[in-house]
Amino acid sequence: MTVWESVGEFLSDPDTWSGPDSIWVRLGEHIWVSVAAVVIAGVLVLPPAIWLGHIRRGSDIATAVVNIGRAVPSFGILAISFLVLVQMGAGVGEPWAVLVALIALAAPPMFTNTIAGIQAVEPSTVECARGMGLTEREVLAGVELPLSMPLIMEGIRIAFVQVIATATLGALVAWGGLGRYIVDGFARQDMGRLIVGAVLVGLLAIVAEFGFSAIQRVTTPRGLRVAR
Amino acid sequence: MRRVFRSRAVGAILGLALVVTACGSGDGATDGDPIKVASFNFNESVIVAEIYAQGLEANEYAVERQLNLGNREVVKPALEDGEIDLVPEYTGSVGGFLGVEQTADSQVMWDTARTAFEELGVTLLAFSPAQDKNAYVVTAETAAEFGLTTVSDLQPVAGELIFGGPPECPERPLCLQGLEEVYGLEFAEFVSLDAAGPITIAALEGGEIDVATLFTTQGIIAANGWVSLEDDMGLNPAENLVPAIRMEVVEAYGDDLVTLLDSLSEALTTEDLTDLNRRADIDQEDPALLAAEWLTTNGFIEE
Repeated sequence: MTVWESVGEFLSDPDTWSGPDSIWVRLGEHIWVSVAAVVIAGVLVLPPAIWLGHIRRGSDIATAVVNIGRAVPSFGILAISFLVLVQMGAGVGEPWAVLVALIALAAPPMFTNTIAGIQAVEPSTVECARGMGLTEREVLAGVELPLSMPLIMEGIRIAFVQVIATATLGALVAWGGLGRYIVDGFARQDMGRLIVGAVLVGLLAIVAEFGFSAIQRVTTPRGLRVAR
Repeated sequence: MRRVFRSRAVGAILGLALVVTACGSGDGATDGDPIKVASFNFNESVIVAEIYAQGLEANEYAVERQLNLGNREVVKPALEDGEIDLVPEYTGSVGGFLGVEQTADSQVMWDTARTAFEELGVTLLAFSPAQDKNAYVVTAETAAEFGLTTVSDLQPVAGELIFGGPPECPERPLCLQGLEEVYGLEFAEFVSLDAAGPITIAALEGGEIDVATLFTTQGIIAANGWVSLEDDMGLNPAENLVPAIRMEVVEAYGDDLVTLLDSLSEALTTEDLTDLNRRADIDQEDPALLAAEWLTTNGFIEE
């Protein structure tokens, strides 16, 4: 059987399009866990990062965090959190361990980009704003955040694309998502299933990438936009 | 069997890595060369390999250990090429891997597997009465609720039960396919887990699945009071533990070596294996010490 035939066979299987192992279910699981991981990571790390950026400290921390984030393997966090959470009574097949691993993956780029972005705002601009009588809150909300928005959004975009790619690991600890097709396809030597899973994850990452580029354009203050 | 659940691709990659890194070693064995004892990558195999290794050492054979080497995709080529000399095998699984017909008859299974392996320069010595087969396991509550003692008992209730096993299970003749063809079982749902590892155990403990694929000698079954359903229609082949050894090594060392390994196999029972597994898997005891203790208890080494 050629690769294309096995892809065709998988795509013509009714279970691929309806039921608990269908593409819609797996795609839905994949998207909601990825979005949830990025949102939770954002809630956790953006406020301290914005504050550190505003007081112009923490670039050392930012560097350390991103380096640690690069070094720690997501699969290691996933395996450890799976075992710990199951001990604490979580059910196998529930997404909690995957969420923990993905939050840990999403946090470093968001944290670092936010600090770096706010600190990259020209100090004289900030001083000027203070000189005009703006309060610290107004300086942050009206000057620093808008000017650093491209970099902050860039951090979120990097995090989101990484999370979409990495959420495939969840299938290794019995959770669903599109990784299910990759793990099951590999174990069953079912090339069609494997390829469809891998391609869908890739497409989802590309869609997220383009979607975020659009958001980034919209959230960039007009004065910072580069003519295209 | 754990041996059945694997992926050929990973094996091929690891096997290649092994061949590349071990290049140059493994010339023909002669009397006096150390015997290279290997094992698969799970506790039971390590313990039995340690029993072989320490039993040999007690009789003044030089031994080199290559324990936890990998799955069968890695171990079999290493054995054929002489990177390793001796490994504890399972008659049914190695037979299946060599492409011979599998049967529940221990003698026939051993015979056909041995004949096939000898074409590759490896022989199987006498098999042990100890076996480790696929087990279909339910909790005591499930067994009581549906009155389950055998796999056939699942027939009227399978449609209400969730079955958990390794991801390849739906495509494997000794897993879901066999359960459907031999027993006519159609479960409500199949859940992809792992090969009788922590995920499957946690899923059965947590009630996310009703029937789990484990191995008969896994200590966790008795420790949790679970019920291993009897394979009353003989789906699973015989899986006797057996030393697989390079024929060159047998020729170099002669009958003394064979007699020694045969006596070790003869003394090993399924109960011993289950007990040793429980102590290694659950109590985290050292496989080498467990092997030493077993050899002492059975009179192969003196205290």
